[in-house]
Amino acid sequence: MTSAALIETGALEAPARELAPAPARAREGRLRELVDNYLDFVARVLRNSGTPESEIDDEVQRTFIVAARRLDDIRPGAEKSFLFRVAFNQAAHARRTAARRREVAAAEAPEQIDHLGTPEALTDQKRMRELLDRVLDQLDESLRAVFVLHEFEEMTAAEIAEAVGIPRGTVASRLRRARTEFRARVAALGAGGTGEDDR
Amino acid sequence: MREPMRLRDEGATALERALLDAGTAYRGSPTARAKTLGALGLAGSATLAGAAAARTSLSLGKLSIGKLSLGKIFAGAAIVGAVATVPAGYRALHRQDVAMHAARGVPAPALSPVAQGGGPAVAVAVAPVVPVPDDPSAHAARRARVEPAVPLARELASIDGARAALARGDTSDAIARLDGYARAYPRGRLDQEAEVLRIDALSQSGRAEAARAHAREFLRRHPNSVLAAHVRTRLGD
Repeated sequence: MTSAALIETGALEAPARELAPAPARAREGRLRELVDNYLDFVARVLRNSGTPESEIDDEVQRTFIVAARRLDDIRPGAEKSFLFRVAFNQAAHARRTAARRREVAAAEAPEQIDHLGTPEALTDQKRMRELLDRVLDQLDESLRAVFVLHEFEEMTAAEIAEAVGIPRGTVASRLRRARTEFRARVAALGAGGTGEDDR
Repeated sequence: MREPMRLRDEGATALERALLDAGTAYRGSPTARAKTLGALGLAGSATLAGAAAARTSLSLGKLSIGKLSLGKIFAGAAIVGAVATVPAGYRALHRQDVAMHAARGVPAPALSPVAQGGGPAVAVAVAPVVPVPDDPSAHAARRARVEPAVPLARELASIDGARAALARGDTSDAIARLDGYARAYPRGRLDQEAEVLRIDALSQSGRAEAARAHAREFLRRHPNSVLAAHVRTRLGD
């Protein structure tokens, strides 16, 4: 029998299930539901908020550990907002750490970006990801938060307002500014620049 | 109020669209899921099977699992060197749960074998399972392997202590605990949360001017923090 098949029998977890009292089972159920429903969301928020790829798995784990500790405080229906706040904070920390590392590293020559409009370039996911990181890294943190939630998570202005903790009108104004900046940075990339020197 | 349109719906260029697609397409990895469920003590069938699929298809062969104690299985797995670890965070989390249940006079939920051993979350799926005797040096090696430099759970526990003190109205204890947190974790991950708790504690203790000074300093340093809105309400109190 393969390991997966052995595990699929559930034998390894049977003792835990038998001993767990009902409230603990309910808690486990809610936690599992959080992970099932929001793991991709958390990973995407972390990544689009500047967490280096190499640290995503650990930061996802940490975000859900925080959620587990605060489970009783999370209002039903507010899970996504809560997880966003934790993940965004985690990402900010990861960004600061990465920035410190970059300060130590020797200055690198800006990468020359050519032929961005070609079909080959546009379908190169790895390259697009790198360029997206570069563009997002230049957005102010407050603009980045609303941009990420609106453009990648397709959340409504009301949902973003709750998640970020700002009025809905502020969401709209930040979105306008974020979009303007995003387009300017992307245009700079397309023009052959790195977009890093014209901030 | 009209819902703002999304960039891709209002004339995004091909490059903009490709970049937006790159951001939208990102997904959590099976390893992230396995590690997360393992850390939460939810490492059930799907988790470990997923981890197995993600990492390797090594077979356990003809092992009769019923003859082995889980503790020994995981100790063995740890010794043969596995890949993913359960953070100390979950073990600290579980210890707290055990204490809580003991206080209530009910048995604590059983700790998942993964967390109990402090060993690898997916070890059972990837490593040959070898029963081994309890060996102190093996335990020491395992502890060394799984202790992160500054486990988040320790920071959380520290902050939780201050929060609990504040909740029972003991502002002096809350502030003392926050001072302790600041000393223990000068670059703590929860430094903003700690500072907001301090503002609340100062405010509750009647030291309104000190609370406002801390609030102003917080907003100066972290104007875009997700906690800034809360701090602004304190300034307005």
